Amino acid sequence: MPFDITIKIGGEAGQGIQTVGSLLSWVCQRAGLYVMAINDFESRIRGGHSFIQIRISDRPVHAPHHAIDILVAMDQNTYRLHKNDVVSSGIILIEEDANIKDDKLKGVPFEKLAQDAGGKITSNTVAAGVCLALLGAPKQLIDEVLTQRFAAKSKKILDMNLKASGLGYQFVEAAAFEGVFTGGSGKSSRRLLEGSEAIAMGALAADCRFGAFYPMSPATGIMGHLVEQMDHIPLVVEQAEDEIAAVNMVIGAAFAGVRAMTATSGGGFCLMTEAVGLAAITETPVVIVNAQRPGPATGLPTRTAQADLLFVIHASQDEFPRFVFAPRNVHDAYAATARAFHLADKYQVPAIIMADQYLCDSWFTTEQSFEIPSAVKLYYATDEDLENPSDYRRFKVTESGVSPRALPCRGKALVVVCSDEHSEDGHITEDSTERIKMVDKRNAKLKDMRKEMQAPEVYFGDSDILLVGWGSTQGAIQEAVDILRADGKNVGSVTFGDLWPFPIQLATEVLQKARAFFMVEQNSGAQLGQIIQMQTGLNAGGAILKYDGRPFFPIEIAKDTQQHLR
Amino acid sequence: MVSIKDYESDYANQWCPGCGNFGILKAMQEALVQLKILPHQILVVSGIGQAAKTPHFLKCNCFHSLHGRALPLATGAKVANHELTIIVNTGDGDCYAEGGNHLLHAIRRNIDLTVLVHNNSVYGLTRGQASPTAQIGMVTKMQQKGVINTPLKPILLALSLGAGFVARGFSGDSQHLSELIRAGIQHKGFSIIDILQPCVSFNPKDIYQWYKQHVNPLDDSQHDPGDYEKALMMATRDESKIPIGIFFQKEKPNFTDQIAALSDGPLVSKKFNPDRLESVFGRR
Repeated sequence: MPFDITIKIGGEAGQGIQTVGSLLSWVCQRAGLYVMAINDFESRIRGGHSFIQIRISDRPVHAPHHAIDILVAMDQNTYRLHKNDVVSSGIILIEEDANIKDDKLKGVPFEKLAQDAGGKITSNTVAAGVCLALLGAPKQLIDEVLTQRFAAKSKKILDMNLKASGLGYQFVEAAAFEGVFTGGSGKSSRRLLEGSEAIAMGALAADCRFGAFYPMSPATGIMGHLVEQMDHIPLVVEQAEDEIAAVNMVIGAAFAGVRAMTATSGGGFCLMTEAVGLAAITETPVVIVNAQRPGPATGLPTRTAQADLLFVIHASQDEFPRFVFAPRNVHDAYAATARAFHLADKYQVPAIIMADQYLCDSWFTTEQSFEIPSAVKLYYATDEDLENPSDYRRFKVTESGVSPRALPCRGKALVVVCSDEHSEDGHITEDSTERIKMVDKRNAKLKDMRKEMQAPEVYFGDSDILLVGWGSTQGAIQEAVDILRADGKNVGSVTFGDLWPFPIQLATEVLQKARAFFMVEQNSGAQLGQIIQMQTGLNAGGAILKYDGRPFFPIEIAKDTQQHLR
Repeated sequence: MVSIKDYESDYANQWCPGCGNFGILKAMQEALVQLKILPHQILVVSGIGQAAKTPHFLKCNCFHSLHGRALPLATGAKVANHELTIIVNTGDGDCYAEGGNHLLHAIRRNIDLTVLVHNNSVYGLTRGQASPTAQIGMVTKMQQKGVINTPLKPILLALSLGAGFVARGFSGDSQHLSELIRAGIQHKGFSIIDILQPCVSFNPKDIYQWYKQHVNPLDDSQHDPGDYEKALMMATRDESKIPIGIFFQKEKPNFTDQIAALSDGPLVSKKFNPDRLESVFGRR
């Protein structure tokens, strides 16, 4: 029997909510189930309210679900905030002595069981045991995942947690959900990972060897995943003194010949904008991830948004070519990041990846394999490639706008680059003809860059109505299409990953077929809608916008679309 | 054999006639020739300002970057290829104002760069405003009633952060300065040389004469560069005679030496290894 179960575990920051979420997710993953988990937390280390919402299914799931089957309330606040989202057949787990009357309530002596296991600190592991028992997970599988997870810790801590999950597990007399763990095949090709890890893996697959960053939510996780690999591959990651330093270090490393990246969020990207121009005028390939969160300024540090698109395509003064990509799912995060490195290098331009908190901090099961290339194509010129290395001119004008790029101190060719406008030889010029020549040279790259742009993903493209979005909302948008089509509505979707240079022709082709298209974006101004209008002359018939910092639920998009269709 | 001629740039110089920067350029050329380094073996990174134009007037690999950002940029280049010899040309505005934060942290990293700060207390390229090293009372078009902010003491700042090579030079004595630059390049770790550099356009007219009368080259009998406390004392005091020379020198582990990934050669020389990546990806 098909199933689609949502579990929400809520409590204060510091109660180990993420540990519960991670245990549940990994046990389900190991059993061959599909998992999608969102991580909702406040910008604080202790207290407040945070939750993890895990969706488990026997079919692929790409977005969170709004209705809750099991609510694990690690505090009474969680019950108060989320009780109305629990389905009628749902279960609410809460500390036994909570003085609340509710038919769905199932009191669990979390604290007592945790004390029995060795300490109050294991309450979260008790909760995981209870949930997994309700789902009918095999005990042995839970123990395996726990053992793996606590492998690096002491045996005492592992034993305590094994006991805690066991006590939670035994507390449940019978599974409440049948068939969840019986059909799972445990396919090994599937991965469960968060978007930030996929981005880091994409960077490594593109032979990224240097990363510099300044900690900023929700981008820090990406650099954290890189740091973990520093002992295994030729890779250096440095925590810089600020974002300006981070991006300039990256430019320096790229100039010297290694692929390099930084990751930040909107505020940090603001600090990097002058250097984006430096990369552009010195034609140095760099990759910058902007993991978006709501702004302006500090905004909502731990929440999600897609409100930096217009900013990023224009960031830094004057005009120059750049690439902008917005990964639409975890596999895309891997592939788009690797492609960003490749294309930045090929065209000697900055490439920017627009991720967001939802993509970076959520866990997704993916079936697509993360293929590692057997070789990485490099775009450097050595002395042997150059006709006359002693007369090397870094910015030699070519038809494509791309000049052979020699590396400093790797041969006889002297590499001279400069943030002032320069001549072909890299030295400063104020000559009017030279200036025009260099602007035209840089812009000449746009023609081929646009040809590299891939078409948006089309889902039921022949429909009357198309929902149009970009980046991480693809999963929610496509599921909204499913809901609407099940309701007899002739609706499809178009989701963009390659955003800049805007694929004008590809976009026009898919959009002009529809009777109308509606923008679906996590900002208040339908920014992609504005770009489409500017670039293609096509106007959206309306927009479904969410900018409260929380990810879209498919049902929200479906309901709003119904309103537009009325 | 390498000679001064090898370091002569074809690019026409843009400094004011008589600019103190010429002495620094000459000292750099002499130091590089004496160290037998060829132009294609050196990378010069600079920020923005008159000082930052230096690499255009020297034959070398050059990255003339943004105002204040030469140090992080040079840091990235050094990590990518730690066999590079990198010199940074920067001014007092570039290094002590716009790039001040980067200076603090480059010293903390002890990244092996040789930083030449052309210090003339004014912003030359923007026409004579006070820099962070301007003395109290200095009148400019933008500080019409005189500078009221306490001048920054570069030597004291560098010493207080634990820089391993701290020196002061004078561009009017390029022989002495070239020795300092040579020692700075040879020093493994972060080297900073604050260079008194007269601005013929915006400093007082008699500035060269004044400096010539007031600088005092340190010799071994006066100062032992291993004496940190004495160096601090000298950097703190405002004396009628300005000491020039190496205030302090002590080698300690530098940034790139401490990174395991760099122990068997520079990052730029490594080959892409899909097999190793396979095991990294498989670990999940």
